[in-house]
This record gives sequence, C-alpha cells and structure tokens, in this order.
Amino acid sequence: MSREYLLSLLKAAEQGSMSRRAFITAVAAAAAVPVALRSTMSFAQAKELVLVNWGGDAIDAYTKAYGEPFEKETGVKVKMDGSGPTEGAILAQAKSGSVTWDLVDVDPFSAITLGAQGIMEPIDYNVVDKSKSRPGFVWDHAMSSYFFSYVIAYDSERYGENAPAGMADFFDVEKFPGKRTMYKWGVSSWEAAALADGASPDKLYPLDVKKAHEKIKSFKDNVIAFWGGGAESQTTMLSGEAAMGIVWNTRAKLLEKDSGGRIKYVWDQGLLSPGALAVLKGGPGGRENAMKFLSTVQDPARQIVMFDMLGQGPANPAADPLIPPDQARHNCVAPDNIAKQIALDMQWYAENYSKALDEYLALISA
Amino acid sequence: MNDIRRKLGIVALIAPLPLFLALAYVLPFFGVVRWSFTLPEPGMTQYARVFADPVVQGVFVRTLRVCLIVTVLTTLAAYAISYLWVFGSRTVQIIVEFFILIPFWISTLTRAFGWLALLYNRGIVNSLLQGAGVIDEPLVLVRNEFGVVVGMMHFLIPFAVLPLASSMRNLDRRVLMAARGMGSSRLRTFWSVLVPMTMPGIIGASIITFIFSLGFFITPAILGGGRSVLIAEFIYVQTFQTVNWGLAGAISVVLVLAVGALIVLFLRLTRVEKLVG
Repeated sequence: MSREYLLSLLKAAEQGSMSRRAFITAVAAAAAVPVALRSTMSFAQAKELVLVNWGGDAIDAYTKAYGEPFEKETGVKVKMDGSGPTEGAILAQAKSGSVTWDLVDVDPFSAITLGAQGIMEPIDYNVVDKSKSRPGFVWDHAMSSYFFSYVIAYDSERYGENAPAGMADFFDVEKFPGKRTMYKWGVSSWEAAALADGASPDKLYPLDVKKAHEKIKSFKDNVIAFWGGGAESQTTMLSGEAAMGIVWNTRAKLLEKDSGGRIKYVWDQGLLSPGALAVLKGGPGGRENAMKFLSTVQDPARQIVMFDMLGQGPANPAADPLIPPDQARHNCVAPDNIAKQIALDMQWYAENYSKALDEYLALISA
Repeated sequence: MNDIRRKLGIVALIAPLPLFLALAYVLPFFGVVRWSFTLPEPGMTQYARVFADPVVQGVFVRTLRVCLIVTVLTTLAAYAISYLWVFGSRTVQIIVEFFILIPFWISTLTRAFGWLALLYNRGIVNSLLQGAGVIDEPLVLVRNEFGVVVGMMHFLIPFAVLPLASSMRNLDRRVLMAARGMGSSRLRTFWSVLVPMTMPGIIGASIITFIFSLGFFITPAILGGGRSVLIAEFIYVQTFQTVNWGLAGAISVVLVLAVGALIVLFLRLTRVEKLVG
C-alpha cells in the first residue's frame, strides 16, 4: 500500500471531504491490491533464485562469481541473502510451510541431517557433474562448492624461524609460550586436541570426544578467546592478544597481509573442511533452476573468482591449474597443501555434533 | 452514559498495543510451549533436562551469577548517579544527563567494541596504567566475566537511574533537612532517612535491571571471549546450531515464567506509576 496514497486518504478524511466509512473502504481496498498483485507476481518471481550465505564479503563474491554470469546466460536473477543458513534456520523455513530460500551455503553435515528429514532436494547428478567434485566430497543432498581449512596461525615475531609444526605444538606452551585462540563452535578443536594427544591422522574418527575435552579442559586457561566468527579471530590475532590461533585459512591469508607478514600460518595438520550448496524443497525459484545453477557453480573459472575474492579453495580440481603459482600457496586444496591436512568427517558431524557442541560450550564456559 | 462512552473510548485507544503484543508475542509463544512438550518426542523430558542436565544447569547458574553481580553493582552505581542528578548543582545535573542519555543513542555492538578497545591487553586502560608504571603486565580486563559485567552495567545503568531518580525527586526534602536539623549526621541521614524513603526505587531499579540482564546476548558474546555463554545465547545455540527446539522451548518457558513472577513481585513491591512520574 503506497504511503502517499494513504496520506492522501487521511487528509481527505480529516478535512471531512470523505466520510469515515468511505475512508475505511478505501484503506481496505488499498490493502487488498498488493495481495492481488502478489498472486500474479509469483509467476514473474520464478525468474529469480534466492541464495542464502553467511553475509559480509560473501554477498559481493557470490554475486560476481556466480550470480551475474548465471543471470546473463539464463535470465534468472540470483538474489543474495546474507542472513546465515544455520541448520535451525533452514528447518524453520521448511516447517513454516512457506519456503523463501532456494539455495543455501550449508555445512555438508547439516545437509546430511536435513536431507534425512526430507527437507533438502536430492542433488540431481544428471545435471550436476560428480566428476567435477573431488573424490570423497560427494553427498546426496549437498554439492561440494568450495573448501576452507582450520590452520595454525602464529606470531612470527615471538617465535622467529621456529614455526609450529602441528597440533602438538599448538598445545605446547613451554615450547611456544603465549596465549591461544580457538574456535567457539567446537569444529577443529576436538581434532586438534586428539592430534596433540598423538592420535593417528588416518584414525581420527570416530573422535574420542571425552578424551579431547579432558585435553581442552587442562589447556583452556591458555586460551584468551574462543572466537565465534572470522572477524573476531582476526582482531584477536592482529591485536597480539593471542600469539597462536587455529583460524580459517581464508582469514589467515588476510592476517598475513594485514600484519605485514608478522603473522604467518602453516598447513601442517590443518583441518580441511568442505563447503557446499544445497537446495531446499519447495523453494520459490524451482528445483530445475536451482540444479542448473549448481551446475554453473562447478565452472572452474567461476570458482577462481571465489578464490580471488574470499580465498576459498576450488571444489573442482580442474580449477587448480588456473591459480597462478605465487598464489597457489594460499590454496587449501593445492596438492602440496592438501597432503599436510586432514579432512573433517562430515558423517561423524552429522551424527555427533549437537551433543559434542553442548558439552564443549559447557566446558569452555565453566 | 457519557462516562461509559468515555471509558470505552479509552479502552479502544489503548487496545491496539496489547492486541499487537498478543498477536506478535503471545500467540507464537504457545508454539514454543508446544515444542517444549512435543520435541523430539511428547513428554516432559526437556523439562527434566532443564532441572537435571549439568550442561543446562551450568548455563543457568552462570547466568544467575552474572546477572546478580550486574544487578547489585548497577543499582549501587545508579544510586550514586541518581543522587548527583537530583541533588547536584545545575552543572553536575547537565553532565549526568549527558552521560545517561548518550548511551541510549549508541548501538549495543558499537558499545561492546568500544569496551573491547578500552580494555584489551594493549587497550587504552592497560597502556595508561603501564605508561604510568602502575602495573608491569597488562591486566586481563576483557574476554572474561569481568568484561561482560562492565559491558552489561554500561547498558543497564540508565534504566536503573530513571526509577531511582524519580523516587528521590518525589520525596519531601524537608524530611532530610529535619533530620539534619535534629542533629543527625550526614551518614545517618543517608542510611536512616534517604535510603528507606527511596526503597521502592531501589527495589524497582534492581528488578528492572535483573529482568533486562537475563536477556543479554550480544554483549556477553563479544566481551566474554566466547566463554561466557549466558542463557539467551544458549537458547540461540539450541535453536539454530544444535537444533534441539524442545530444549530451547523448555528453557524459554521456564525463563518467561521466572520473569513473569519477577514482574508480579515488582508490581507488588513498588507503585509503577510513581516510578515514571
């Protein structure tokens, strides 16, 4: 209902040039117009997909890398929404009965859980090409779209040439004195603790959460902050509050740049985490468009835009050679780097994350 | 007849607000109540968790501790500020008004980050103290419970000042003069006359502060260094991250009942219309 129209009605009613009843009828009619428009507009809206990601720089990156070229090719606009597709938010969308999201940048383990509940559309691997994902990163209800990693970043002014070589060093405050920062939402902390305790990287899962929590409990006084978001991890490291941290490699790259090289990071025992796009059942833009969009996300050149803008490692191995050699050291899935890391087990997370996170939060807050 | 029409008119004018609140809060809340009894399976299991699970208990205990500390310190600070505001010189009054009103216009996020900049190990406070030679090692003033308490107090003090100042303004100042005139010391006058006479304000300020403090989310999340998960953030985690809506619902219901009981207590102990006067 237009504001101007309402104001003109109000004015007419005030001046007495319109009876009260006529006024109410006019307002009611004005309110009904958009409803009528909406029902015809839903056809027009099929020319639009809504992609929900985690906001910030991701809005621009997703638009430039994927949204704009897709619109040019198909005429379907991809609207970006940065409100954060947590598992609970996606479930709320589905349960509300009015799904307004089509695509979500979701943790694969959430997609596994939500897929089992019948909320996510199975990926149509006739449209999406399995061979354009790395082996081991193919799921029924989510398509591998990028990679990032939880890596050790450290203050080289404090440790000089003596770089930490893995999680045992991260937990060793004798050898590497100074405060630490770790992830507030548990992912990577359990693995780090297990590795520091000497768990073999290929036998990390199923994780011994109890043992990991004992390790973290005895260590947590050395943790100045459990960071909850990427920006927080950056400020904690940049300010010098933490001398070492387990942070996202995308932020570690920024830290290296912003600190003028003072803060460095290593790939050793980094914890490789897959990112994915998934499709909600009953989304306004339709399943077919969403699947078509996913297939365009597999384009190597477009994934390189994401690498340039956000530092995300490409999901399609064909993109690796497109990264210039001087940049390849920042690519978490470059062959040299991937060899040093351990991939997170999404199936384990789908089954155990909630309980482990509750206990972890209780532990770090105690 | 006219009287009834007038009363009806007043009711009609007031009605939209409670109606809106009922539609926007009360109705959806019944959905939350339903979750608390039906998810993941029908029964009282989630309520049993609220009262027995050490994880949930820990969050409740921490929230109560932080909120009680904040309430006591906020009320004390607000009492001193209100005293200055009501009994101070005109200049003092203007300064106090400025510092009470300014925080209202600055967002919670901005203020939390402001405190971070002031209090972190290389922040303004530590730099000054180290520069003056008072301390050798920086004090850990933030990313812990201390930082959370400071940030919450800063937000809540204005809300506590309003009822306190109002109760001070409304008392008969001649009583204070009479006490002094009859030989009571300043301290005695304060404790035996001013404090008892402003007790409704103190109770009101404490209850308002406590109720508000229970809902804090952003300030503890930023200033607590990730280790000060209070009840509001815990409900968020159960809703969006671990997706345990039954538990989130049960905690919410318990919290709403507790706050409801506090409000009833508040209305019994104070006369609201006097506090806003």
